[in-house]
Parts: sequence; C-alpha cells; structure tokens
Amino acid sequence: MSASLEKGINALTQQVDSTVAAFFTSCVHCGMCAEACLFYTETGNPAATPIHKTEPLRRIWKSEYTLQGRIGKALGLTAKVDEALLSEWETLVYDNCTLCGRCSMVCPMGLDIALLIRKTREGMAAAGHAPEGLIGATTRAITIGSPMGVKLPALMAQIKHVEKDSGLKIPLDVEGAEYMLLLSSMEIMNFPEFISAIAKIFSKANVSWTISTQAFEATNSGIQIGVTDIAAELVQRIVDAAEKLKVKTVISPECGHAYMAIRWDGPNLIGKPFTFKVRHILEVLDELRKDGRLKITGKEKQRLTYHDPCQVSRRGGVIDQPRNLIDLFAENFVEMPDHGKMGWCCGAGGGVSSNERADEVRLKAFQRKKDQLDEIKPDAIISACSNCRINLEDGLEENNMEIPLLSLTETLAEHLAD
Amino acid sequence: MINDSNRDKTLGETLREQGISRRSFLKFCATTASMMALSPAMIPKIAHALENARRPSVIWLSFQECTGCTESLTRAHTTTIESLIFDFISLDYHHTLQAASGHAAEQARETAMEENYGKYLLIVDGSIPMDNPGYSTIAGISNYDMLMDTAKGAAAIVAVGTCAAYGGIPHAKPNPTGAVSVGDLIKDKPIINVPGCPPIPVVITGTLMQFLTFGSLPELDHIGRPKAFYGKSIHDRCYRRPFYDKGLFAETFDDEGAKKGWCLYKLGCKGPTTYNACATTKWNDGTSFPIEAGHPCLGCSEPDFWDGGSFYKALSMPTENITRTVIYTAAGAAAAGVALGAMNRHKKNQAVATHNRTSIDDLKK
Repeated sequence: MSASLEKGINALTQQVDSTVAAFFTSCVHCGMCAEACLFYTETGNPAATPIHKTEPLRRIWKSEYTLQGRIGKALGLTAKVDEALLSEWETLVYDNCTLCGRCSMVCPMGLDIALLIRKTREGMAAAGHAPEGLIGATTRAITIGSPMGVKLPALMAQIKHVEKDSGLKIPLDVEGAEYMLLLSSMEIMNFPEFISAIAKIFSKANVSWTISTQAFEATNSGIQIGVTDIAAELVQRIVDAAEKLKVKTVISPECGHAYMAIRWDGPNLIGKPFTFKVRHILEVLDELRKDGRLKITGKEKQRLTYHDPCQVSRRGGVIDQPRNLIDLFAENFVEMPDHGKMGWCCGAGGGVSSNERADEVRLKAFQRKKDQLDEIKPDAIISACSNCRINLEDGLEENNMEIPLLSLTETLAEHLAD
Repeated sequence: MINDSNRDKTLGETLREQGISRRSFLKFCATTASMMALSPAMIPKIAHALENARRPSVIWLSFQECTGCTESLTRAHTTTIESLIFDFISLDYHHTLQAASGHAAEQARETAMEENYGKYLLIVDGSIPMDNPGYSTIAGISNYDMLMDTAKGAAAIVAVGTCAAYGGIPHAKPNPTGAVSVGDLIKDKPIINVPGCPPIPVVITGTLMQFLTFGSLPELDHIGRPKAFYGKSIHDRCYRRPFYDKGLFAETFDDEGAKKGWCLYKLGCKGPTTYNACATTKWNDGTSFPIEAGHPCLGCSEPDFWDGGSFYKALSMPTENITRTVIYTAAGAAAAGVALGAMNRHKKNQAVATHNRTSIDDLKK
C-alpha cells in the first residue's frame, strides 16, 4: 500500500529516454492517430486521440528534460503532473487503449505512440492509478502464478481430461525436448481443446515437446499494467524453466500479448539475451507445413475470415503464416476490409479485458469489428488469440450476431489426415 | 514575316501551301495533345480548330534580355510544323526579327494594337528595370511605359524566359537595375509564365496552340507556369533517377561514377527542386538535355535560380557563407546542448537511483 504521486513522477522521469524525447519533439499535432484508433472512431471522444493519452509522460519530458520546460517550471509556467491529472488520465490510458499499435502505423513522423502509452502506464501504476481489475490480475499472476488464478492442479485436471479424450500422452517436464509450450489461463480454463489439438498435431508430425509444471503461464500482467519489475519477474520464471529443461524453443500460445511480452519485451526486461528461441505457435505450425510435416485432408466449404490479433500480426509480424495455414483447409476464405498489419483490434487486449470498468467502452469499440463483419458476412471467424476470441464472442452476443469463433490451431487439428 | 495577303487565310490553307500533308498535320496534333496531357478525344477537335484558326496578332516586346529566348525559338534546324505555326501567327512587332526600324517599327506596333485591340497576344521576354528608366529604353520609351501601354489592349500575356517570368539574371543579387518581372507589374491580365533560360521551344508553341485552338489559357501552377509542361520535377522524370534511388553518385566530373552515368546530385544538380519538361521533351530537336550531356541541372526555370549558391554545390549544402556569428552561435548552442544533456543524464540517473523495486504491494495507495 505504498503507491504515491512521488513514485509515479519518478517512474515517468525514469521512462524518458532519447526515443521518448525524439518522439515528443517530432510530434506535429496532426491528429492522424485519432482516426486510426477504434476508441476514437467508435466513440467520437476526442480525448481518446492516442497521442493525447500520453500527456502525463509528455509533461514530465517537457518540464524535466527541455530547457524551455525547465525555465517554465522555475517560473511556475510549465504544466505539472498532479493527482488530478492522473485521475483524469486513468481511464484514457487503461480503458481506452489496448496497446494495439494501429496509431503507430499511421503516424507520419514515425512515433511509436503505443510504446509511449505503455511507458505512461509505468507512472500511472506506480502512482496507484491502475484499474482495480488489473491490479487483481497482476497480484494473482505473482502470488498464484496466473492472472485468472489457475493453479497447477487445475492444469493437471484438464490434462487428464485431454489425455482421456485424445488417447495421447501430454509430455510434462521432459528435459531436452525441442519445444516448450506455454499456455494462457484462458486456454487452460475455457479452451482445453487447444492442448489436445497441439498434442494431435505434434504427435502426427513427430515433434518433441513438453509443458513445464514450473512455468506454464504465458501471459504477462506486468506488461499490461505497466510495471517493469513485475513483468521481468514473470519473464524470469519462464526463462528459468526453459533453461532447466534445456529446450531449444519456447512456444507462445494463441495469445497476442503473451507473445509480445515473451518474444519482444522479454530479453529487454531481464536485461540479457535468451539462450533459447521464442516462436508463436503459428510460426511453428507454418514451419511444419513448409517441411511437409503437416498432412491435411478435407476442405471447409463455409465462408471463413481471419481476425488478426494485433500483437501477433501488427506488432509481431506473423501475418502470412496464418494465411498459409488457412489455405490448407479453407475453400472459401475472405479477408476483412482492413486486415494484416492494419487490422482493427478486438477492443479488449492490453489489459482491457481484465478491467471491468472498461466494459461499456469496450462494447462500443466492438462496433468497428461489427462493421467489418457486416461488410463480408462470414460464416465463421478464425483467430489465433484466446483473448480476441472471448471478446469477439462477447461482442457478437451483445449484438445478437451468430458467427462462431474458431481457433486456427484447433481447426487445423480437425483436418489432420490419419 | 508573312505578307499581308496571307492574313485572311486559315492555318489549314497556309500549311497546305507549304506542302504539309494532312497526315503529318494530324500526327503533330496527336503529339501536342499528349504532351499537354489532353485526352485523345481532343485530337480531332484540335485539328479542326487549328485548321480554321485565323492569324492572331502577336506583339513581342524585348526588355532586359539577351535574345537567347528568341534564339531558342528560331534556332536553325529542319523546318517543323511547330516553326510553321510560329510563322503563321502575325508577328507584328519583334525587334530582332522585324525588317522595319525607327519610326516605322513603332508605327507597326501602334497599328497592330489599334486594329486588334483587346484580341492580340502580348509576348514579353526580359525583365523591366524600375530603378532608373534610362537603363533600358526603346525608341526613347522606357520599358515600363511600353509594357503598361501595350498590355492594356492584350487578351493575354505570355512571359517568355525566366527574366520576364521572375526577373531572372538581371534580378539576381545585387539587382543593380531594380529589375522586376511582368507579373510584378501587371495584375489585371492573365499571365502565363514560360520560364527557362531559355525555355523549351515546344512549350511556347504548345501554349500558343492552346490559345489558338480553344481561345483559352492552359491550367497554371502556383507560380503561373502551364502544368502540362511544368507539373513534374526534372528529378522525377530523369533517366538517372534509379541511380539516385540506389545511392550511386558521381563525386567529381571525371570519376568512375561520372563515366558510368550515375546521379549528379552531389555535383550540385538542382533537378529535385526544378520543374520543367527538359527530361522528356529534351533539346535540339530531341537530342538530349543537360543531365544527359553530363552536367547537373542549374534550375533555370525556377525563381532566383542565380542566387541559390554555387551551381556545383549539392542541394543539401548551405548556400550562404558561414559567417563568424553563425559559428559562434552554433558553438554556443552545442555547448548549451552538452550542458543540457549532462543535466538530463543526471536527472535520469537520479530517477533510476530513487526507484525502489515495485512489487504487487505497491500497486495501491
């Protein structure tokens, strides 16, 4: 119980580096990022303009790191960061942003606005302005090992079911395995079919893999809430397990932010390079396809589309792989109007789904996805992120739309040739 | 000069008298239409309008100029339809080309103005001195007075060459004669600027053709140039552009790069900031253009091209001499920058040092 404004300001001061300074100096206030953000387009709320969400960080940069700002501060002219500002910005930074990074794509000056918002969260969290739901998830991640409170016995129970249904053994703690699979709590509790799908595919393709009982959780609440120390601790758990089992590659599951956290932020968080590779499950599956180790049979006749999870496609660059894989079984594939790196976020990533306060704006933002779906009228939507999946199902239900959501890995497993 | 009996003939009749076949005339119409970015559907309309056009009266005034623009238009090469069209207009007054002199010459100008008041086309080359009118006079009339007097009855004015269009070389620093452009003085008439030192002949004939065909003036850019010819930069249409994109530059006029025909940007080429048609229409009957001959573009169709520093300095280099004040200012700014940087590093280090590890217990107040 020791969060304070002082700590928040110190955290923001610590976040300013040459990148931040260059970004704020280059911003030309064109406002193009507004039109790229679904929290602006669907609400019309000008405060949701992405660059505006970074105001607390911008003020610290201005008052502490620029000559003009320093002089202004001495004269009492430079705007300050205070409790009132942080309270006002709390909903903008956490509820109205999924860190999807679409704004970064359109910025004519090349600012990575999503990164700036991520850094702003550091100050918000240290000052005690993180949302209740995210604090809860983060606390559970550290104390229990999973943001949803999933403990090892729960995983073991699900694995037992999977083994019974599939007749396949799920390898646990196998030293020297080629791949170590991570899972998101969402998959363990809501979609255990994912585990059996992986087991089927890997067994057919003769892949050596394992799950660690020591570190099986892939998601990283520390990144979402914006506390580097906590994020680093969560990454370290995975690193320790992977090093102990001496695996060659760690697989991030069908979860967008988990992938971003372990693959791109991971080594920076712990301050040293990994001794193993990190791949998204779709990358691994596409490699198997390329090597001719995936034997697929039967074609889906229904009209399928693919929802690009922002952290997998836009921030992660895994864009062609899902399409290569879908090609194997889809006869009638159709792209959404904006797809690939310019895809629209589901509206619930980056911690928004664990933040109940954001429910209303999240469902409003879903209108963007609804418009996209109305345009192409698919029979089913494929995705590769459980969080997207849950949120899309929620949004569809709210709008009385009956379009089933499919996991790419699971659909692929259904089409495996005997 | 064409004698008076020709005055009432149409262009079609004149061309046939000169032995130009209808086929080659149509070919000319098609080429010109495409050059002016007009739709192919316009070709028959151009042909029809041109064939039936009557000779318009043209008065050509030359002020502070070198006659290079006239040379560009009348230079000797095989007779083309362009030059015939140039012959076809009734050029009632032109210092260099007219046979008459003295009072008879001025008489010709006054008669042409009187007979065609409100309809004649006025072409001007050269800039107008505003400092002392005595710097340039014709028949005792100052350039300014002659321009204002002749412009009154003109349907439109074509400012040929950079001097007439933007002041050109007479206007260059320190501008001893107080030279100004036509556009600086006349605000109430349509003015078409056809800059270049000299301008490309076909740009003149193209502009005249539009006037003859449609009785209208071409679409102009923000500094009064026909967009059809000045719409794109030399750089965008340059055949050496691929070398620029690859970063292959000639560093001197006799190095490997120069021999291999690489980009002349570093040798001072002004192609990126110069808008003209040289790279596509080329010069000397389509033979080549300066960059093709191995010399960077001087930027002659742009205002103040003479004051842009050395022709051989790359565009990215400063044009003025770096003065002592600038050096001191820069050194001062650099020192201030270093000081501010040190202060900022200190600030950041302090923040890092103050940072206590944030745990889950630190998330609430």
